[in-house]
Amino acid sequence: MKKIGVILSILFCLCFLTGCWDRKELSDIKIVSGMAIDKGENGKYKVTVEALNAVELNTQTAGGNAPTLVESIEGDTVSEISHLFNEYMAQILVFSHMKVLVISEEVASRGMLDFIDYLERNIEMRDDFNIIIAKGDKAEDILKVTTHFRKASSLKISPQLDHFLEDWGGDPGVEINDFISELPMEGKEPVLATVKLKGDVEAGKSMDNISKVTPDTLVEIDSLGVFKDKKLIGFLPLVDARNYLWIQNKLKRTSMSLECKKGNYSAVRLTTSQTNIAAKWKKGKPVFHIKINAEGYIEGTQCYRNVQNVGTIKKYEKLIDKTFSKEIEDTVKKVQREYGSDIFGFGEVMRRQHYDTFTKVKDHWNEVFTEAEVKVDINFVVRRSGIRSKSFFTETEQ
Amino acid sequence: MNYFKKILSINNKKDIPSNVKPEKAREIHLNTLTFEALKEEITKTFGSTADLQSDIFRFGKSEGCIYYLETVVNTEMLKEMLGSTLQNSDEEISVNTVEDLHRLSKKSFGVSGYKLIDCVKDMVTSILEGRIVIVFRGVSQALSLSYINSEGRSVTEPTTQTVVRGPKDSFVEDVSTNINLVRKRIKNQNLRFEKYEIGNETRTSVYMGYMNGIVNEKILEETRIRLKDINISAIFESANVEELIVDKSLTVFPLALNTERPDAVATYMLEGKIAIIIDGSPFVLVVPAVLTDFFTSPEDNYQNYFMSSFVRLIRYISFMIGLIMPSAYVGVLTFHPELLPTTLLLSVIAQREDVPFPAVVEVLLMEITFEILREAGVRMPRAVGQTVSIVGALVIGQAAAEAGIISNIMVIIVAITAIANFVFPNYAFANASRLIRFVLIIVASILGLYGVLLVLVFMVAHLSSLRSFGVPYLAPVAPFIIEDQKDVFIRAPIWSMNKRPSYLSPNISQKQKAQGSPSPPKVEGEGKKK
Repeated sequence: MKKIGVILSILFCLCFLTGCWDRKELSDIKIVSGMAIDKGENGKYKVTVEALNAVELNTQTAGGNAPTLVESIEGDTVSEISHLFNEYMAQILVFSHMKVLVISEEVASRGMLDFIDYLERNIEMRDDFNIIIAKGDKAEDILKVTTHFRKASSLKISPQLDHFLEDWGGDPGVEINDFISELPMEGKEPVLATVKLKGDVEAGKSMDNISKVTPDTLVEIDSLGVFKDKKLIGFLPLVDARNYLWIQNKLKRTSMSLECKKGNYSAVRLTTSQTNIAAKWKKGKPVFHIKINAEGYIEGTQCYRNVQNVGTIKKYEKLIDKTFSKEIEDTVKKVQREYGSDIFGFGEVMRRQHYDTFTKVKDHWNEVFTEAEVKVDINFVVRRSGIRSKSFFTETEQ
Repeated sequence: MNYFKKILSINNKKDIPSNVKPEKAREIHLNTLTFEALKEEITKTFGSTADLQSDIFRFGKSEGCIYYLETVVNTEMLKEMLGSTLQNSDEEISVNTVEDLHRLSKKSFGVSGYKLIDCVKDMVTSILEGRIVIVFRGVSQALSLSYINSEGRSVTEPTTQTVVRGPKDSFVEDVSTNINLVRKRIKNQNLRFEKYEIGNETRTSVYMGYMNGIVNEKILEETRIRLKDINISAIFESANVEELIVDKSLTVFPLALNTERPDAVATYMLEGKIAIIIDGSPFVLVVPAVLTDFFTSPEDNYQNYFMSSFVRLIRYISFMIGLIMPSAYVGVLTFHPELLPTTLLLSVIAQREDVPFPAVVEVLLMEITFEILREAGVRMPRAVGQTVSIVGALVIGQAAAEAGIISNIMVIIVAITAIANFVFPNYAFANASRLIRFVLIIVASILGLYGVLLVLVFMVAHLSSLRSFGVPYLAPVAPFIIEDQKDVFIRAPIWSMNKRPSYLSPNISQKQKAQGSPSPPKVEGEGKKK
């Protein structure tokens, strides 16, 4: 009896002394799906949040009003600002469902990335949201666009980035935890996907925007932002973004066009790929041998060769190897020449494979990187040719 | 405590007038009483009851008296017997001594199970059991014959444990019919039944059945002791016995199985368990019971083993759903909205926009409503059944959501919880999870999912502390016994289950020789090809 009494009183205390401190009823919270960081005029930062209007996002309860509420506040720390939003809103903001963090080009190129410490430290936020750069525009504008897919801008950008990575490879697939780990890493500089607005931001704010088949304003994935010494220094076009992924062994699938006859092209779909990088030192210069084993199938051809012949397939394979190893080499050379920033992580490969030599040069690795020799060797195997062996043009051609 | 005792004892004294006392059959030997004195003694013992018959008759040259309760004796058979045996008998015959009585009994009732008694107390017992007792003048022994009127419900389909495929008979209230149903299934001389009379007032027959040679002697002895030690005034249902014999513990979990299926009882007995059959109850107790027994149905053995294994998995899943679904709803919505996918969370928020109550109030409201409905459904007269189902559908259905009292998703939660709770093959276990569910909801509203986990940890700790007749309640999972796993979470093919569950420590653990399932016959000459 005494024992039960003790247990009961402990349970009683447990309930009333500790309980409910982080209890928030659903009607008291507002979900934030996106955050944008701009440079402030009166404070260090200007933080914009995109808070979701749940009733409008549910098809059954939607009444045609704005799906999100986007507001900005200026201040010196993102942390403080994120708790100030009741200046405008009725409910408490919950950041655990944040999908996208947009950083303005200005903030990124000035290297004002200190606020990332707060994002990582924060108990509420996940560490897997997408982090992107708004090229040219203000970062807050990216969140102010209504979209056909799920209405809210960040709810659209997040799967847009993921699917682009999955289907073609235009997004580097950098989530906040990747970015944080790459930022201070020796021998690897981070990259970020870059988006920009197509059209006018004022038009994008209205629900009229999504009543059109071609909206006035859209967020498009534009390029790849290259960092050096924790600062954004430039952009690489999307094709280079794909080659970047390929070298990183993060490319899942892609489609490639290659010239099989002058003015005529064939399309090849890549389905699996495995990249291995071997690092060497040759006469004081680093040499990287990138070996890519890939498989895929022919998706379309304008050359009408009979793909039933093994010879034709072999020709295609050779052509692919030649075309794309050159393309990848060009990308690397471009980065070496223009930015001198080792975004490919060659230094990291070197650190793993030749640790002693790397430690000697790690302080000026980016300079060493610009002189690196890169050789790409693709071994592409064409497995199939779609569901057609001969093109219907093949017959007429012969 | 003492205060209550005082009140009760005072009341008792006032309630019973001192001149009326309950009669007790005295242990008087028959040879100390004369024929008339005996008749007086019996009539006095039974008092003014209307159904006691004590008729004097002539049998040959001697005089006898027949005692019986006409309401429990099969009077048709009695008349037939009296007609054939007594009246058609030889005029010269006489029963004056004990030897005469023996001779008569052997000659006339040798096959019908007669009993000779020589004490007034035994006479009274015999009469109460529905036998007739015949006393001859001058003979110091009485003849007791069985003419019990065994009218009762006939064997019907089980009502609480139905199967699609499998035997469709179930136990009835009559104990001999029940034993018959088991005997028909196990034709084995090692099937033993021990009889106990339990209940100081009701003297209910309780039979303990077991397979001699299979059952573990220690468990058997323990059960015997516990049955013998019962000191209670009345037994009406096996649940009464269950409460008196299970290991003393403060628990909501059933520590003895009850079933109304004879095939289940036979299966359990052959595994080494003990069946306790109570007269007047169609539910037979099976001990010792472990937790996993409550997740098995007799039908598991009657359908494909892949299907059975799948269904068992479903039962375990639905146990968890029934247990934690409402509390998880409360916990996630008030403490951990980050756990839901964004789209679902948005839809829940949108739905709950107009709900005036916090999530916990909403859940408690609906769960209590459902419990009310359920209780009403069980207790109400059959004729008004329709009303409850119609009204019930309104109360916990779309109408409640449309009225703005609850959200749509709550309707789904209540419904899935309710259905998950009905999956159990055993009703007693489902009740246990019903109670814990409410504890979980309240704790989840205070501590969130952390609290849910806390209660579940307590629950598992409690479960592992339970014993059923000395067998750990969580066996064979904790302690983990690998060779018993063939019939726990999955049901292995019947030809591969060659051993009895070892947590019961049966005397002989081997059921049958190890064997495989048959393969197709070999075509002649096929093996010779090279």
